[in-house]
Amino acid sequence: MKLKIAHLFPNELNLYGENGNIKALTFLLNESNIAYELININLEDKINFNEYNFIYIGSGRDIYLEKAKKVLSKYREEILSYLRQDKIFLVTGNALSIFDFLNLYEFTKLDNYQVGNTISTTSLCNGKIKGFQNTNYLIKSTDNLIFNLEKGMGNNNTMLEGYKYHNFYVTSQIGPILALNENLNKYFVELLKGNKE
Amino acid sequence: MYLIAILVGKITILVGKLFKRGSSLPGKIALKIDKNLLAKLKYPQNRIVITGSSGKGTTSSLIAKSLTKNGYKVCHNSTGSNLSFGITTSLIKCSSLTGKIKTDYLVLEIDERYNKEVLTSINPTLLVITNLTKDQPPRQHTIDIVYKDIIKSIPEQTKILTTMDDPFLRYLNKDLPNEINYFSLKENKYSYHNQIFENLNTTTCPNCDSKLIYDYYNFENLGSYHCSNCDFSYYEPDTIGKNLDLEKETIEIDNEIINLGSDTLYQAYNVVSAFAALKLLGLSNKKISTTLNEINTYKDEYFDYQNKKFRYFNCKSENATTFNSAIFKIKDDKDLKDIIIGYSIISKRYPHTDASWLYDIEFELLNNKSLNNIYVCGLQKHELETRLILAGIPKAKIIIKEDLPSMKEDILKSKSLKVYCLSHYDYGDIFKNTFKEEN
Repeated sequence: MKLKIAHLFPNELNLYGENGNIKALTFLLNESNIAYELININLEDKINFNEYNFIYIGSGRDIYLEKAKKVLSKYREEILSYLRQDKIFLVTGNALSIFDFLNLYEFTKLDNYQVGNTISTTSLCNGKIKGFQNTNYLIKSTDNLIFNLEKGMGNNNTMLEGYKYHNFYVTSQIGPILALNENLNKYFVELLKGNKE
Repeated sequence: MYLIAILVGKITILVGKLFKRGSSLPGKIALKIDKNLLAKLKYPQNRIVITGSSGKGTTSSLIAKSLTKNGYKVCHNSTGSNLSFGITTSLIKCSSLTGKIKTDYLVLEIDERYNKEVLTSINPTLLVITNLTKDQPPRQHTIDIVYKDIIKSIPEQTKILTTMDDPFLRYLNKDLPNEINYFSLKENKYSYHNQIFENLNTTTCPNCDSKLIYDYYNFENLGSYHCSNCDFSYYEPDTIGKNLDLEKETIEIDNEIINLGSDTLYQAYNVVSAFAALKLLGLSNKKISTTLNEINTYKDEYFDYQNKKFRYFNCKSENATTFNSAIFKIKDDKDLKDIIIGYSIISKRYPHTDASWLYDIEFELLNNKSLNNIYVCGLQKHELETRLILAGIPKAKIIIKEDLPSMKEDILKSKSLKVYCLSHYDYGDIFKNTFKEEN
């Protein structure tokens, strides 16, 4: 069985090189001889959440975030069901602002952008995680965290960042975080292997 | 305070000249003495401002030099100091002690984020917006922020000139009551029909949000387009560059053949925008073409060394478009080549080392059999290596070096006869010093 990797709205939500995450993930799947199918989902496409093993969505311009929210909010129950099945969903950067309709976590809109390099550790993998923040949205909730920041700004002015629910991973860090962090990329590939089994 | 500010500014300029130090310090000091100085200066009747993400330096230079060659007196911030202090320094240089700028034209290149600080004071008669692309994301964040900064400060009577080829800028008339003029580069032999640059800024109609369909692309977001739903579309504006021939470095505008002085597509855009601006200023087509043909503004470098042809592309860190522009040129070269990519700084403004912009560069277009090796060096060499691997370039072809001198021996021994260097301007002199001169 081929894994199905869905990249949501890659033409629109590509503000900070987020396609690097899909490039990194699929590169490692190829290296690991794991069969997969990459599905780029456009705004006008019908989304069959049941089909996918991994969904990714990245940062975008405000107009495209709004469009994405309009589309995805129609799938609230399907998304929640997908997450409860422990399937993987990765959200980076300002795409975190799309999912308020899930009522899982709260976020804050900042008056000024939070910009700068981040360095963190996480229980997901070994080593330091290098990232970058260039966002006017930060997660407010302080439960189910992912990253322990040494540098950067975490949820609700803490040094703890991200949000995790089953295999729903949300971070305010932007761009190609999987490409820049091999161990984190490996974590998701291992998770996908388990998901497949 | 106003006259004291000008006097102190002029003295500081003079002191700087004595010590051969050009800087934006005089403007900084003058603005400290009188923060409203720019609003009080007496400007010439014709005031042209050029802004945008890239090409504004070259376009403003083409406009200023053409006007000068046609006998007009021009005040121009030719050193590229395009922030408030640098602009103020240039204006003080041109002004009398009473603050009157006694020239026929004022031609200012202004950083796209600084328009809001100076446009109201300068009240330009013509504003040229060359383009809007992703540039310095940690400072600019998104093009929407830059766009809002520009439009909120444009006086109503200012004429605007911008590109029809970008649907985002084509739709400026939605937000502004101003007279808007456009220029365009017609479909040419380098145009393409399927999107080759993955990350575009605009994919939907600015009017109704439906899918935008491109009839052809010239480069990235630039081309001819129409909406899949409403009547929003590209149309042919008054000034169009036709019959582009980058091998001959020529373009035809209004039946005049213009020498581009370069073989890159972006130079063609610079020339067409300058031509359109000069036309709006009332110069005849003949006068424009004659003077544009005499001007050389080209910044890239070519030279031969030890039987190899070297070329330096003057790119800009955190501006993927400048790298894509170089790649768009290199991709059509079928000769075996080595490519060098690197830089030692990302920005002088901030210490951040964001690598996301590397994924807006279409390195995938370099992955073909004419690529011998890619050498990467400098500040983000490891991030560059990862990016190139993910672009599908074989690991064996990617060679990591500390800096340019440390790759010299390998490059000179290489079987390829062409070497391209894509770099931020910080490596320009080092590249020439490394490969051009005999030790």
